[in-house]
Amino acid sequence: MGHSDGFSLHNGDAAGNENTGLNAQAKPADEANGSAPTEDIYHRIGHLTRTLHDAMRELGYQESLSDARDNLPDARDRLAYIARLTGDAAEKVLNSVDRARTVQGEITARAQGLRDRWAAVAVYTSGAAAPAGAAAERATPAGAALVDETCAFLASLDSQADLTNGILTDIMMAQDFHDLTGQVIRKVVALATTLEEQLVKLLIDATPVEQRKKVDPVILEGPVVNPENRTDVVSDQAGVDDLLASLGF
Amino acid sequence: MSTDPRFLIVDDFSTMRRIVRNLLKEIGYSNAEEAEDGVVALNLLRQSKFDFVVSDINMPNMDGFALLKSAKADENLKGIPFLMVTAEAKKEDIVNAAQSGASGYIVKPFTKATLEEKVQKILQKSA
Repeated sequence: MGHSDGFSLHNGDAAGNENTGLNAQAKPADEANGSAPTEDIYHRIGHLTRTLHDAMRELGYQESLSDARDNLPDARDRLAYIARLTGDAAEKVLNSVDRARTVQGEITARAQGLRDRWAAVAVYTSGAAAPAGAAAERATPAGAALVDETCAFLASLDSQADLTNGILTDIMMAQDFHDLTGQVIRKVVALATTLEEQLVKLLIDATPVEQRKKVDPVILEGPVVNPENRTDVVSDQAGVDDLLASLGF
Repeated sequence: MSTDPRFLIVDDFSTMRRIVRNLLKEIGYSNAEEAEDGVVALNLLRQSKFDFVVSDINMPNMDGFALLKSAKADENLKGIPFLMVTAEAKKEDIVNAAQSGASGYIVKPFTKATLEEKVQKILQKSA
């Protein structure tokens, strides 16, 4: 089988090369204590690796990797969608807070003007400013009570406005969740990107040697800054997808 | 220091820039500009006069540390106080900010009272 042959040949070479160096030092000790030669250990490890690889392939491991890799961009898009929507929501709340503050300011300003005028009315109705000999009271008891109540209400508006402004500040401050969650989402997206790159690498590692050689240099070089001047690299995600499709993934 | 200090708010999240701007206004400072990263901020700092920088740390293009160090290395900008407002709560980041010349460091999420206290303290010190 081409795939298995390629994989075992690749590992066999690597093991063989390392064996040459390591074994040269290890062999005398092996022979001295009568243990199995190191060559045999490497051979067995290589055999186990090949068996594991074949088993994973038969179990559809490559397809799982391919599926996982295909799903990551979608996961990234969904996270970006969440970040955008929460950001929009936070902006809407901040806009509403600004409008509420404006309305609150207008109410407070109008109340200030009315408060002074109603204070004058209160003085008049109570008769406190009445000339000597004039009737002391110039309003019915109900009217005087209404004037007093109105004055008290207008006087309380400043503290009510302070309270409302404090609540609006709390609402505004709560929107910092967008910044905090956004930073977490950004890190998760970066992690997903790294994971995707690793999965692509794994997929390519699991391809036959002849085809792997075509793409190995791209993996090792990292980001390509001038894809337009090269024919041996892909320039965008579609290129990666096409390449993977051509490899059967 | 001017009686109406001019602030530069640097954060890659517009929501946070807006929150800081509104808070500064509530505290009594309405003279503020915004920048979305260190590169834009550094350009603005070099183009016109600012009295105070409130900066995030974790930003694309140029982060808050790089901005701080660049400003402190610039003869014309090194006197501007920097208040770092960030989600980075690691001790080494806080030490790094202090050693790089930051005048204050606030960890997000924060309160209006905290921002007010730090800003007032830094302004008094700079006066």
